[in-house]
Amino acid sequence: MTLSKKLLFKVALRSFLLQASWNYRGMMSMGFLYSIAPGLDYIYEDKNARELAYMRHFEYFNTNPYFASIVMGVTLYLEEKYKNGDKCVDPEMIHNTKEALMTSLAAIGDGFFWDNWRPYVACFAIVFAAANNSFTPFIFLFLYNLPHLYFRFAGIYWGYEEGVNVIRKLKNFNFPQMRQSLRIGTLILLAYLIPNFVRVNTPIFTSYYIAQKLSGDQYQFCQKVVQGLIALLLVYLGTKAYREKVNVLLISFFLLIFALMFYHWGIFI
Amino acid sequence: MEHLNLSLIVALLGGIVDLDSTAAVQCMISQPIVAAPLTGLIIGSMLGNMTAGVQLGLMVGIILQLTWIEQLPLGMNVPPDAALASVLSVALGFCAGHEFDYAKREACYTVGLLVSVALGLLGRSLDMFVRRLNTNIDSWVNQKIEDNNFGSIRFGHLSGGFITFVKAFVFCFLVVWFGVEPLKYFTQLMSVHHSGGFVVLQGLLPAVGFSVLTSMCLKDNKEIKYFIIAILAFSLLPSNFLIPLIASVAAMIIYYPKKSKSKKGKK
Repeated sequence: MTLSKKLLFKVALRSFLLQASWNYRGMMSMGFLYSIAPGLDYIYEDKNARELAYMRHFEYFNTNPYFASIVMGVTLYLEEKYKNGDKCVDPEMIHNTKEALMTSLAAIGDGFFWDNWRPYVACFAIVFAAANNSFTPFIFLFLYNLPHLYFRFAGIYWGYEEGVNVIRKLKNFNFPQMRQSLRIGTLILLAYLIPNFVRVNTPIFTSYYIAQKLSGDQYQFCQKVVQGLIALLLVYLGTKAYREKVNVLLISFFLLIFALMFYHWGIFI
Repeated sequence: MEHLNLSLIVALLGGIVDLDSTAAVQCMISQPIVAAPLTGLIIGSMLGNMTAGVQLGLMVGIILQLTWIEQLPLGMNVPPDAALASVLSVALGFCAGHEFDYAKREACYTVGLLVSVALGLLGRSLDMFVRRLNTNIDSWVNQKIEDNNFGSIRFGHLSGGFITFVKAFVFCFLVVWFGVEPLKYFTQLMSVHHSGGFVVLQGLLPAVGFSVLTSMCLKDNKEIKYFIIAILAFSLLPSNFLIPLIASVAAMIIYYPKKSKSKKGKK
């Protein structure tokens, strides 16, 4: 273990630029090499050995950007072992380990961050927006970046200290169940947002026919029920259409026609 | 002169925000829920109505955040450029519409939002173009490495980020520079009656995003009836925003260990 914490921190910082040169050939290949370059420079003092290491890592690389630092840590751990003459480690083993890790971490990271964490945090922040709270963007940024920065910085140390055993450490997080509970949490927030955020004003049920017979509170209650039911109906139709693979833009276009027609007929005001 | 300053500021903001979406950092200031209110804050303070700018930013941010929530940057997939769409939607809408009366102003904001969705799709094509350029840079760096020129890695890699910034900067500048006046003109042409229709549409648009997210999260048919009951309950309950927040956190805490135990029980 010769790489200092400061140097590993530098690698983690460089990983923030991992995708700067994302391309169709090597995807994050240049970004990966750029990030681990300070580590390779430190491990290989000999120029020829360093150049060979650079060439080894200028290859296809693609994973979840927040978990990439874990792969970087493991790669530096293996490179160091290889340099020290460990017979279990050779360039092919390093390549295979890197490939296996990047694939599994892409699946875990993309599933957790994109599919579950981002929607949950977005809904959480939007609930604040529904209450006219201007701190909504800060709430989103703060919550979203807690696990992002944690994995980004802790990951490099885990990878370098644990080597290939790092995957056991990640198993402790129980990501599949965490994703399930985030999905349930998002649904609860959605159930609040749908009736409270879709703004529908219709004079038909409340003011025209019934309003004269209702007191102020009853009127408000009816208005809320009607609003909730219309919002539910719209979301139901939208969900049905989206599941039938209708494009979001087409759904929005239909909504535009629907809104203009209903406004013209005086059903929505 | 003011319009030039506004266009430059929006272009700079667009460039920074677009860098965050893939090329650098990814701390999510590029997400519409952040990028749109940020644009509203800056443009609003420049035009003397910061609160209105932030309010517009929040409205646009929420709609775009939810509508494109399932568009993910996975592998070869390039999603619509939600970051640029958010910045441009607020910039176009606010610059063109902030001087109108209520109905026309809101109509202008809604039209700006619809136009920016199309611009987000154009932004995706530009992203793909940048990635093709990066592929050429990658081949060039590969050639240089074979010639033992390792300094090219740093240059090649960072120039990819620079190209992304320039792309977003130029795109945003041109859209704001040429787009505000036509949008203003279009809004002036609308009658008050038609403007009202766009205000109604603005209230309904979040339904599209909620539909996308519902189809993403509702996986089990058994959950549908509980979901509908919850929607009706939240329609009738006093709308205190703390109730759903506490309920969601509590449900997650309860659900997480319960499932773990049941799995252990089965074993």
